Amino acid sequence: MAPTYQETIAALQSYWADYGCVVVQPYHTEVGAGTFNPATFLRCLGPKPWKTAYVEPSIRPSDGRYGENPFRFQQFLQYQVVLKPAPADVLDLYFASLEHVGIDLLRHDVRLVEDNWEGPTLGAWGLGWEVWLDGMEVTQWTYFQQLGGMDVELVPAEITYGLDRLAMHVQGKRSVLDLEWAPGVTWADVYLENEREWSTYNFEVAPVDVLMARFAEHEEECRTLLDRRLPLPAYDMVLKCSHAFNLLDARGALSTTERAAYIARVRDLARSVAQLYLEVDAEVAA
Amino acid sequence: MPKLLLEIGCEELPAWACEEGSAQLPELCERQLRRRPAEVYAGPRRLAVVVDELEERTPDEWVKGPPEALAERAAEGFARRHGVAVSELEPRDGFLGVTVPGKPLAEVLPERLEQIVRGFAFSRTMRWDERGLRFPRPVRWICALLDSEPVEVPVAPSGRVSYGRRFTHRAVEVPSAGTYAETLREAGVEPDRTARFRRITEGLDALGGWSDAAGVLDEVVHLAESPVVLEGRFDERFLQLPERVVVTTMQSHQRYFPLGGNRFAFVADGGDPDVVRAGNEAVLESRLEDASFTFERDVRKGIDRLAEELRAITFFADAGSFADKTERLVRLVDRLGGGDASREAARLAKADQASELVREFPDLEGAIGAEYARLAGYPEAVCAAIEEQYLPDAGGGPLPETEAGKVLAAADKIDTLTVSFGLGYKPTGSRDPFGLRRAAIGLARLAVEGGLRIPRKLLEPEVRDFVEERLEGLLDVPVEHARAARASNAAELREVAELARVLAALPDERLDRLHTVFTRAHRIVAKAGDQALPEVRPELLQDEAEVDVARALAGFEASAAAAGELDAVVAAAEELAQPLERFFEEVLVMAEDRELRRNRLRLLADVRDAIASRLGDLSQIPR
Repeated sequence: MAPTYQETIAALQSYWADYGCVVVQPYHTEVGAGTFNPATFLRCLGPKPWKTAYVEPSIRPSDGRYGENPFRFQQFLQYQVVLKPAPADVLDLYFASLEHVGIDLLRHDVRLVEDNWEGPTLGAWGLGWEVWLDGMEVTQWTYFQQLGGMDVELVPAEITYGLDRLAMHVQGKRSVLDLEWAPGVTWADVYLENEREWSTYNFEVAPVDVLMARFAEHEEECRTLLDRRLPLPAYDMVLKCSHAFNLLDARGALSTTERAAYIARVRDLARSVAQLYLEVDAEVAA
Repeated sequence: MPKLLLEIGCEELPAWACEEGSAQLPELCERQLRRRPAEVYAGPRRLAVVVDELEERTPDEWVKGPPEALAERAAEGFARRHGVAVSELEPRDGFLGVTVPGKPLAEVLPERLEQIVRGFAFSRTMRWDERGLRFPRPVRWICALLDSEPVEVPVAPSGRVSYGRRFTHRAVEVPSAGTYAETLREAGVEPDRTARFRRITEGLDALGGWSDAAGVLDEVVHLAESPVVLEGRFDERFLQLPERVVVTTMQSHQRYFPLGGNRFAFVADGGDPDVVRAGNEAVLESRLEDASFTFERDVRKGIDRLAEELRAITFFADAGSFADKTERLVRLVDRLGGGDASREAARLAKADQASELVREFPDLEGAIGAEYARLAGYPEAVCAAIEEQYLPDAGGGPLPETEAGKVLAAADKIDTLTVSFGLGYKPTGSRDPFGLRRAAIGLARLAVEGGLRIPRKLLEPEVRDFVEERLEGLLDVPVEHARAARASNAAELREVAELARVLAALPDERLDRLHTVFTRAHRIVAKAGDQALPEVRPELLQDEAEVDVARALAGFEASAAAAGELDAVVAAAEELAQPLERFFEEVLVMAEDRELRRNRLRLLADVRDAIASRLGDLSQIPR
């Protein structure tokens, strides 16, 4: 019997917890990827070692297909692992985690294919790979080089498993919808209606004027919070701006140049937050 | 003589890094070891060299000290620094110096090998730990052996240990520099790029009928340490997708090789072939399934409805939507003399920008639109033109084959250039985000090679200069001849090219004569200040020589207007030479009488302008 989706998640949780990761929880506001969770973005700044692992639902409004396409969703689950600094045997640790969830590395073709990551709204980039398992991309691997426009002090390894794809591989399923989430319950049972309704909202209902105003309000509030030297709440405002931007993008409300301008506004905020976070962190330590 | 092995063990290097690294290794060895390697190996997890016949010791070296003339003051200090007596210093070429004896190779190797590892110039590098070494991916080990003795290289754990294929083999000890490749082969790794390449192409040939339009082979050869070629198949229902979509899905996403029909080949790096094949087939099918969903949604909408949606899609901010662009294209196609097919194609050209499939596969713009136009039953001339509108899309890439395609391709480029320049997006240095250089070169090639009639007046002055500067580069003539031709009032781009070629092909003595006539007239008029001069008044032409020039000029104008061929225009211009030579000898241009003087200057200005408008600014050509 192949493990259920939730068993695969539990196996990763126990593997990385045993390794010494702090298992935190998904963030409470929408993020496009686990990288945006402060447990990655903010903790990867500065000189302090940090190891964490967590599930993150990624919200990408433009990717929704009303649940009609079994390979595209506006929400999907990532499993995020961050090891800062990256240990020399980090790849071996990762491969062992695949074995831990039931993948026999001798029977499959595992490949690391160049794929470099850039997060323009976070002023961040890194080099890495996508990991192929018999041709299927199951993980995105990144050695961060810059975050918030600053060179990282300790180079972290970020391992982002695409949980849906990994589970498809483990269960031998051809559609995400058919994944067995728990005994007798499929992925479709859990999330299909969610896809239909959110796709409708993202593409048809989300109010453009309100979102633009909301973006501006969050931006303003972020600046206020920066002045009050509160980087953690300020960072939430960055995330809210970023999500408002993603929705505006899904509504097709932005031209190419407007898009670039919005991205630059989010990046400016993210930079300021990153700098303040380091300052405050140093003060607290002193 | 000793043999050296240096293997830099890495986490999976990108293919470009394998290529850059192996290309630089011979030079690096030459610099650090004074010998080029006998063998160079490159693959995803290692860059390695074997260097034969190294000298046992580094050569003795003469270190230059103070000039002999200053020996009294400086010799003692220099000798002390080198631990020798003043009497041991040797004079050479007027300087004192000391011979520093060479060192045993083993003693200098750690530092020299470190210099090799640190000496690469990769196009992109990263950091990964506090050692601060930069490399395209982390360096995890160094295997360095001088014959069979390990060499310590202080950039990573080093010694005689290397690593075999992932999962099936682990660490291996390399006994000696001479047995490197065979040790790795036993550990499941083919370190030689050429051998892997051969293995892959032989595997593909055995399956037969493979193609690789996107050139993924050069990447795939560095994606496996022990490549195996396998064949897969996908469900035949996906063959209803446009072939380009299927091929792009296979090649750009998965690095597969199409074998025709529903068969494909791919390169694996181990695993159980049946399991790996089934996995890859499932992945490809899910990608094709995804593309099918998108394709079917587009087709249900149809190209005409997609075209109607263009109003909502911005082309450039401040330059309106793709619907606005479409209207401009239709007008431009008319002004370029295009027929019905090109007008219809212009109307539908950008429709695929509203399709989901182009959002998914931006490289397939044009091809997708053409496919949708075919499905909607448009004539093939229209569909082909839509497909060809972005050609030529690379330096030496093919031009559109159909007339309507050429016209639409030119219109598209003219519009993009005009709009971008109008908004101030001009290419600077290496930055050209809108591909304007490529568009300008494409436009020039459509005129020169495609024979398309492109009126120069369709181009704003700045755009025209930009395009014609690219045109200069395309012609196989000296740039001065091309510049001269640009200054003519040729109505079309291709006429500028023709004129430049005619000027460049003209025998020296003929060009000299024209050049002299032109520049003398030009110089005299320019020296006089080029003031506004009234029309020539025939009654003021007194000397026979000036009457002759006026007559010859009228003759030139008439025959130039009548001449179909540029050669005839050149011949007509040459008829001006003799009367003018006589004029310069016999007539005093700067006469005291103001009217007379202005009349003669005007006559010369007319000669200059007549030649310039027909043959260009000949003064650009150095004589």
